[in-house]
Amino acid sequence: MENTVGQSEKPAWKAALNMMINPGEVVKNQMGKIPWPYSLLVSGLSFMLFFLQTGLDLLRSGQTEIAGVGLITLLGLLYGTAGVALMAVMVWALAQAGERNLTMGWAISSFALGYSATFVYALTGLVFSLAFGWKTAVAFGVTGVLWALRPTMFTIKQMSGERVAFSIAMTTVCGAILLAGWALLGKFGA
Amino acid sequence: MDMRLGHTEASASDKVSFWPVYLCFMVFGVLIPFSRTDFTMTTMLLSLVVSLAVGVLNVNLLIMVFNSANADLRQADSHFARQSVSAGMLFMIPFTVLAVLALALLSWNAVMPFASAAIMTAAATAGAEVMKKGAQGVKNVLIPSALAFIFSTGWMMLVAVLP
Repeated sequence: MENTVGQSEKPAWKAALNMMINPGEVVKNQMGKIPWPYSLLVSGLSFMLFFLQTGLDLLRSGQTEIAGVGLITLLGLLYGTAGVALMAVMVWALAQAGERNLTMGWAISSFALGYSATFVYALTGLVFSLAFGWKTAVAFGVTGVLWALRPTMFTIKQMSGERVAFSIAMTTVCGAILLAGWALLGKFGA
Repeated sequence: MDMRLGHTEASASDKVSFWPVYLCFMVFGVLIPFSRTDFTMTTMLLSLVVSLAVGVLNVNLLIMVFNSANADLRQADSHFARQSVSAGMLFMIPFTVLAVLALALLSWNAVMPFASAAIMTAAATAGAEVMKKGAQGVKNVLIPSALAFIFSTGWMMLVAVLP
């Protein structure tokens, strides 16, 4: 009987990996066990690396200096933590997820862990950027953000009680906010 | 009394609509030529035709794959594949809207990443919808994703050779 106790506990990193492959299952069954600081660490690192690539691209084209790259990177960390958390809370409120016993912490954790794919793309892009001097922010960074839309969509579906039209609309809004914020940052850093 | 059964089945099939999905493919078809430095109306028309063809093939192949891989489910509900593909492919809409915003407001010329992400996400979501209806096996997500990858790569290559 005691042997069954530990079997349902999966490491958080496995949940992060599963979020890329089968986000629906993670959102429905595993998010309750993932602490929100861990999830925010994933999204924070994802955007930090994404914005670092943006900074390096701007540095290479002479539009900014080293200090600017540092600032953009820190802004990325802020964007990936506070920004993602605020967006999650906004959608949680609009979806009235509280009525479905989904807490704000769950929403933040679920949203943030959805950026696992972004982290993989951002890390890969950074490697290419540093090793080959390529401009990778759009190819790897934006692609990584787009791939995060699928887990975001499943999270919103869960929060809204499987409302399809609402989920599509809110996923679009979340994606637009992220891309617009990144574009503004590019102008700010230049 | 039995004569009503056929009428009910026809109604279930009639309610499944794919026009939003095809509209998304057409929008991408219109946007893609703007990624090039120079293009003509011929380029745009050809891009539109190619995108629509990719969309029609993608949708119908997905339906065929789901029907083939889930014979038991098909016997219980003959429209499960069409309904799942229709529901899943709706999730191309966010990517389509973002692509329009990226081009129109941010002046980005990179539309294909949006199109590729759209087709692959939508196919995987269609697989998830099929699994919600009772289909067994992660093949219902992996095979559609692989198909979508092939289609998006082929789409990219066709667009690259447009005159």
